[in-house]
Amino acid sequence: MSDTINISRRFFLKAGSAAAVVMATGGVRMLAYAKEDNTEVFAGWVEVTPDNKVHILFPSTEMGQGSNTALPQILADELNADWDQVEIKQLNKDDRRFGNPAFGNILYTAGSSGVYAYFTILREAGAHLRDMMRQRVADEWSVNFNSVIAENNYIKHSSSGRQMSFGKAISLPDFSTTALRSPVVLKEKSDYTLIGKSIPRRDIPDKATGRAMFAIDVRVPDMLYASVIRSPVEGETVESLNDEKARGARDVVDVITLPDGVAVIAKTMHASFVGRFSLEVTWTETSKYRKYSSESTIAEYRQIARSEEAGAEWRAVGDVKSALKNADATLDAMYTSDYAYHAQLEPMACVASVDDDGKGAEIWAGTQTQSWTTHTAKEVLGTTEDRIKLNMMQMGGGFGRRTELMQNYVRDVLLCSKAVKKPVKVVWLRPDDLKHGAFRPAAAQYMQAGFNSDNAMTAFYHRVATPSVIAYFNPIRWGQVKPNDVVSMRGAENKFYDFDNFTAEHVITERHARILPWRGIGAAYTSFAAEAFIDEVAAKSGVSPYDLRMKLLRNNPRGTHLLKKVSEMANKVPLKEGRGRGIAFAGYGDTQSAGIVEISVNESAGTIKVHHVWIAVDAGKIISPDNAHNQIEGGVLWGVSASLYERITITNGLVDQENYFNYPILRHDMAPKIEVYIAKNDFKPKQVGEAGNPMVAPAISNALFNITGRRIRHLPFTSDNVKKALS
Amino acid sequence: MISFKINGKTIETDADPDTLLLVYLREIAGLTGTKYGCGAAMCGACMVHLDGQPMFSCQLSISAVQGRNIKTIEGMSENGEHPLQKAWVEEQVPQCGYCQSGQIMRAAALLESNPSPTEEEIKSWMNTNLCRCSTYNRIVKAVQRASREMSS
Repeated sequence: MSDTINISRRFFLKAGSAAAVVMATGGVRMLAYAKEDNTEVFAGWVEVTPDNKVHILFPSTEMGQGSNTALPQILADELNADWDQVEIKQLNKDDRRFGNPAFGNILYTAGSSGVYAYFTILREAGAHLRDMMRQRVADEWSVNFNSVIAENNYIKHSSSGRQMSFGKAISLPDFSTTALRSPVVLKEKSDYTLIGKSIPRRDIPDKATGRAMFAIDVRVPDMLYASVIRSPVEGETVESLNDEKARGARDVVDVITLPDGVAVIAKTMHASFVGRFSLEVTWTETSKYRKYSSESTIAEYRQIARSEEAGAEWRAVGDVKSALKNADATLDAMYTSDYAYHAQLEPMACVASVDDDGKGAEIWAGTQTQSWTTHTAKEVLGTTEDRIKLNMMQMGGGFGRRTELMQNYVRDVLLCSKAVKKPVKVVWLRPDDLKHGAFRPAAAQYMQAGFNSDNAMTAFYHRVATPSVIAYFNPIRWGQVKPNDVVSMRGAENKFYDFDNFTAEHVITERHARILPWRGIGAAYTSFAAEAFIDEVAAKSGVSPYDLRMKLLRNNPRGTHLLKKVSEMANKVPLKEGRGRGIAFAGYGDTQSAGIVEISVNESAGTIKVHHVWIAVDAGKIISPDNAHNQIEGGVLWGVSASLYERITITNGLVDQENYFNYPILRHDMAPKIEVYIAKNDFKPKQVGEAGNPMVAPAISNALFNITGRRIRHLPFTSDNVKKALS
Repeated sequence: MISFKINGKTIETDADPDTLLLVYLREIAGLTGTKYGCGAAMCGACMVHLDGQPMFSCQLSISAVQGRNIKTIEGMSENGEHPLQKAWVEEQVPQCGYCQSGQIMRAAALLESNPSPTEEEIKSWMNTNLCRCSTYNRIVKAVQRASREMSS
């Protein structure tokens, strides 16, 4: 791919005329239009105003990952903007011109994709506007285009010392019809001024004062509050309702039956709770999901994983079946994992104000997608996009929870507001959020390896039995990608290693619970099975886990570098008595991560403590190193939490857990020391946000083996599971 | 009528006496820096100071705080000048940020009683407060930084 963009024709036109196009790498894209006042808009991505401010559009949504700063930083670099004059504007529309190329231009913030997917587009936008200003000012001064530069919000002519602010440049007559006479050239990597710098995040000061506004914080005039009791099992509806007490309660305005719940709407939040808890509801109790319990589900998935049932091929190299048949020896193992909950600290919450005609609404929501929140509103109100006004709020954690095509927390508030013709806020209580959550799917993974007469591995076969997450949470997307489910399968491709014969396949099982993407998606469990099994293979081959991985990485210098590096980091710290270490090599998408953990185990209590984690990550060019560091640390600790504690169990369709007391997550005192190494290079930027967690579970299980000689093959490693593994 | 002080200002309210202090602060007083996370004293997002002591505001009704002094994150400083708030920015602690008001309120109570806590003391004191983004290690660094600044 060339860094030069070919301009097909003059690309910057006055408002009212057709929007211009540029030929960019990969095709034609709408890029530019101009507004009628003296404000120039380049592709809508960036706007310079006469007061010399630069306004950069943020197309994703912010849930803690920091792309609210990192994405504008990329554009500002190419524009040579003065960062202090940059203002960041949230995109509050389902405007596919700004969509995420990693997801077919849907406005969708997931998969750690923001930086890598928007990297080139943002640079192109910044470079175009930069060169337009250079050209127009060069013409004004009657000097050569190449003799003027853009620097810190000024166009400068060095030989004469003249300079003009961006704000003045765009105010020059006929600026918007300035014709570029040479192709726009993106900066050399050595000329980056902002990319690669740890610029403080823009959202952080307000997060230290309590001023940061989340959807749950929104208050609008005349707003009412709704509290919703939901059907206990998916697919059930209200059979009978006695709402007499609720209707008689102080400040209660109305009681409304929803598709799968009942809402009490009141003037105060307190009254909505009082009313909600006074409802007497019976449910249809006819859902097929009442047949399912997590334990029997996992047992069923195990059977399917081990069966002959054909799976959808996810990735294959060589001929794994023949290699297994011809092997001198084989090894197999079954790995299983429970459902897991997002446990984001801000429960589902939304505010909406539906117009009196019921066909339009203003919505304040924290979701990972402008597109699907708009879709939800259109479906619920039976309306068109122009009647929906979104306010995309930052989220108190996303982690995949806020990605669905149909968002029932948005749906409910719209239905309530429509009914009472007033703005309404809905807040899910924590038990609602947990019991009506949608989870990382349960999975069973059957692993097989073949060996030659020297006990060297010749085949690696990975069968993942789990439902399709995409088929459930986004049927439209499933229609496009079936049978390839990246959410269920990520990690199983195992593409960093060089196998002679390898197959990973997805045996798509029946869904028994609500499921959603969850931090790390498939890699949160596929990397556990793959990397714990690699240690089993190493033992069978009689080589060290480190040496086997080095051999598998022999054609992957970037991976080899990470494994060496992480090993050096850990070797500097003497291993303490009574502790053990485990290694794993995983990553996320194109990002590679090598990790080592140090743990101790209390064998009689069945408890594991993680003391120290070393991680080496190669995510290509890093936009904001400090934020990347924070994300990787967060990912590692997410992995520790998931490994040690996190388990949703379901009994006859009902989720057993209800709050943090029976769905514990990692707390301060159990957070290990973490040392992070991030490779410095100029390769294309790749995923950061989910690169930390996939390697943690296998590294812990491998460490447990190194201490006790016993394998643990079920995630999470709660005390009952650890005791079972050790007995 | 129930009367109490929020951030030094006297409040008189005829709200239902059973209203949770957390709900009162957020939805009636408009002080949304204090967050709802679990309603079960398990997460600490709702942490405020009650007569100087850290408290889960989800566990108190307004009738229980009659005549008492409440301090919320909004009462920590005019504009984020408290050493802990400055340290939170310096160390770039927050990710999603939702738990951080509670973390700061919890840490402030620690530094008032123990101006130079050890790392272990910080971790054990802060154990009441969950951070799902897992900014735990940076929180420790920020508390240490604020402690140094406050004692110098």
